[in-house]
Amino acid sequence: MHLQTAEYDLSSHADVYEPSEDSFLFLDALEEEFGNLVDLKPLNIVEIGSGSGVIITSLAKALKNANFFAVDINMSACKATQMTGELNATAIQPLCMDLLGQFKENMFDVIVFNPPYVVTDSEELCGNGINRAWAGGKDGREIIDKLLPKIPNILSCKGIFYLLLLKENKPKEVIDFMFTLGFAHKIIKERKLLGEYLYIVKFNK
Amino acid sequence: MRLGLTPAFLVKIVSSVVLIPARSVHKSELVKMKLLTHNMLTSKSMKGVTVGYPLGINVVDIKVTEVDFNPEFISRIIPKLDWSVLWKAADTIGQLDDLPKELSQEYENDNDFLKKVHHVLLEVDIVNGELVCPETGRKFPINNGIPNMLLNEDEV
Ligand SMILES: C[S@@+](CC[C@H](N)C(=O)[O-])C[C@H]1O[C@@H](n2cnc3c(N)ncnc32)[C@H](O)[C@@H]1O
Repeated sequence: MHLQTAEYDLSSHADVYEPSEDSFLFLDALEEEFGNLVDLKPLNIVEIGSGSGVIITSLAKALKNANFFAVDINMSACKATQMTGELNATAIQPLCMDLLGQFKENMFDVIVFNPPYVVTDSEELCGNGINRAWAGGKDGREIIDKLLPKIPNILSCKGIFYLLLLKENKPKEVIDFMFTLGFAHKIIKERKLLGEYLYIVKFNK
Repeated sequence: MRLGLTPAFLVKIVSSVVLIPARSVHKSELVKMKLLTHNMLTSKSMKGVTVGYPLGINVVDIKVTEVDFNPEFISRIIPKLDWSVLWKAADTIGQLDDLPKELSQEYENDNDFLKKVHHVLLEVDIVNGELVCPETGRKFPINNGIPNMLLNEDEV
């Protein structure tokens, strides 16, 4: 099964992250994982920070019989995701939310997150605009670190969490921390793209 | 990450995912807020809130769309639901029909029942309205099907 990249049109959403090499690397990784995802028979799948919606919509096109959710802190991104879903005749539920703060526990079998990973000043982590697409604060890890301790409560027991990391995010620290929470890891992809060294890491129990 | 500087052709070269334009099989519409989603949301992360569940619903308008019925899929969703919350939500927005208040034991083979659940879970959409925290009364607006769950700094 081939994971087709969803069609998208951001012409009316200038303040939304345009799918880039990191987004496409993520899609490559999910394509590689596709067999595992089918076998998992996931019921609820969520993307955190869906931006244009290209990743969750590509998944929704390929995987049948699952419910697809997309959250973003930027309302424009939620609208863009809603439109991308429509453009590809898939049903994606968009929500404007900070991470997965308002979901009940253990609801998701798959979580996908291409986070704001660029190393910036902590002050850049403000507002809900396009800056939130990349501003990651110290080590580019501030948003990632807010999410990690919550993963055991968000994910169902058989669940999988896919996360993109940049070399500067110190992936080993993230992997070690997740290990203390009981998660095994696997690096699905790593690639040097336009001066950035990126990893797609899979975590599960 | 591209901060608006990389030429688009480079992005395509570095990606091994083939960019095939999607064909819309049939005309679809923007997805609005489902009662399934309502069933999964809580305001517990707010300061001073202990349970925050279920959220109240105030509806301005709803929309009903036909979605393909898959009984096996609906049977898999049911164990994840809070049934009484779903029942009450359906009642609140006037879509109860004759959905039973108690979940029957052998629903897996009860196609009529599964069809009703399918309808309230996936075919009824809230377009505009609000979700309400049961403890603080804090309202979360739903505009064009997108609930805005963002909290202010002093609320967390
Ligand atoms: C690097 S972009 C990825 C966009 C898209 N998923 C892609 O791969 O093209 C990161 C996204 O995360 C969103 N985001 C940042 N912080 C967030 C938070 N705390 N909660 C939810 N979304 C957030 C941003 O608005 C942005 O859309």
